[in-house]
Amino acid sequence: MIAEIRLFLLRSLTEMRYDTDGIDDDTVLGPAGADLESLALAELAMRVEDQYGVRFLDDEAERFAAMTVGEFCAAVENRVKAASAT
Amino acid sequence: MSATGAVTGIGLVSPVGVAVETVFDAVCSGRSGLTRPPEDHPLHGVVDVAAFGPPIAADSVLAPKDARTVDRSIVMALRAAEDALADAGIVVGRDVDEYRVAVVLSGVGGLETLAQQALERSRRGRLGVSPFMLPGVLPNMAAARTAIKFGIRGYTSSVGTACAAGGQSLGEALRILRAGEADVVVCGCTEAPLFPTFADAFGNALALARGWPDPASASRPFDRRRNGLVLGEAAGVFVLERPEFARARGADVRAALLGWGATSDAYHPTTPRPDGSSAAESMRIALRDAGLEAGDIGYLNAHGTSTKAGDAAETKAIHGVFGANMPPVSSTKGVTGHMLGASGVVEAAISVTALRRGLLPPTHNLDDPDPACDLAHIRKEPLAATVDAVMSNSFGFGGHNVSVIFGRADG
Repeated sequence: MIAEIRLFLLRSLTEMRYDTDGIDDDTVLGPAGADLESLALAELAMRVEDQYGVRFLDDEAERFAAMTVGEFCAAVENRVKAASAT
Repeated sequence: MSATGAVTGIGLVSPVGVAVETVFDAVCSGRSGLTRPPEDHPLHGVVDVAAFGPPIAADSVLAPKDARTVDRSIVMALRAAEDALADAGIVVGRDVDEYRVAVVLSGVGGLETLAQQALERSRRGRLGVSPFMLPGVLPNMAAARTAIKFGIRGYTSSVGTACAAGGQSLGEALRILRAGEADVVVCGCTEAPLFPTFADAFGNALALARGWPDPASASRPFDRRRNGLVLGEAAGVFVLERPEFARARGADVRAALLGWGATSDAYHPTTPRPDGSSAAESMRIALRDAGLEAGDIGYLNAHGTSTKAGDAAETKAIHGVFGANMPPVSSTKGVTGHMLGASGVVEAAISVTALRRGLLPPTHNLDDPDPACDLAHIRKEPLAATVDAVMSNSFGFGGHNVSVIFGRADG
């Protein structure tokens, strides 16, 4: 599932017109890497909710900035699994 | 008499061009910006005729991630601001302290973006609403984006007086310069009203011109057969400076903003006060502010939107102020349509160019002047005349009246 989430993330970044060249699992999503600003991170959280039906609350979405692509995909996967387990 | 504002830069995005000279030549020659909406445009079938500005790629004024989230009103404003600053030869931080530059950039805001978001909200619920909606919609964002793009860190504001907002932004800029609160003011207005909900609002209010087989003939200020305005989109930005500051940096000063006046009808939200008395008073205040008499005005660019009530009320107002000293008058909306608040800035640019070129543009489509609009019309052909001062009127829904007066740079 991680691979699919990674594809979803890259597609989202492309639609949001961020440069995805050179982005890999170690790239940080926030200003230190892919350079997503706070509203873009908020939009990303909405896209996750729309796609996977799981919601990240405000403080969780804010933590996306410090996450790498790999960490973000794992976090989404964990949330989806937790949601489907209940 | 108090200080003036030096006009050192102008940037326009209008239905008849982006370069000031191109716009001026269009209003002089009657090259119309009025067209039927193309079949692939959302306004097709909604309105008979509209005045579209040129396409401007959002990517040409913003980084791609920002370009995705802004309204057309912002894109046009940034292009006009960029052109105005380049025209003035100003790089903020190099030529002027970043805190000594102000921005007064107005307009109704990104209402098309708001309309789209409302549709998405009703279709998809909460997830249809973009977190980027507010920077797309708020009416201060043209000013804010301009400040961000050009590193301008002084006073910033946005005037909300509908179709008077452009003229009033020039006036507020002059007030800021006179108070010494800035050396340079980037001021103007941007309007992008060409989407169905907004157009229907004007249409259902019976404000739009209708039934004209030739779209170019639909806007006909002061003409007996006029039956409404033609909606247009535009942005206009002036760079105004304290004259001492402009001189010290060796700027090419095109004209001087000598004075302005503003009044309120205190009458009705949309209908102008029929006797034009408040509009007349705004012109008188502008004359006093500029230290001029009525007879000093050599050209008047009227608001003249081509509505029955508006043109007649403005005629009364002009008679009340000028009497036997009436200057040649025209409304250039016959070729540009009504660009709402941005009209005041585009028309200020036209008025300044008329002053500099000694050529006064005519009112296009004024084939049969309405007896209720008995002004000293310039018709069919531009009028060659040496003039030392020009006035431009802007009136807005709400009963806002603004008049600005420009004179020669060396005056």
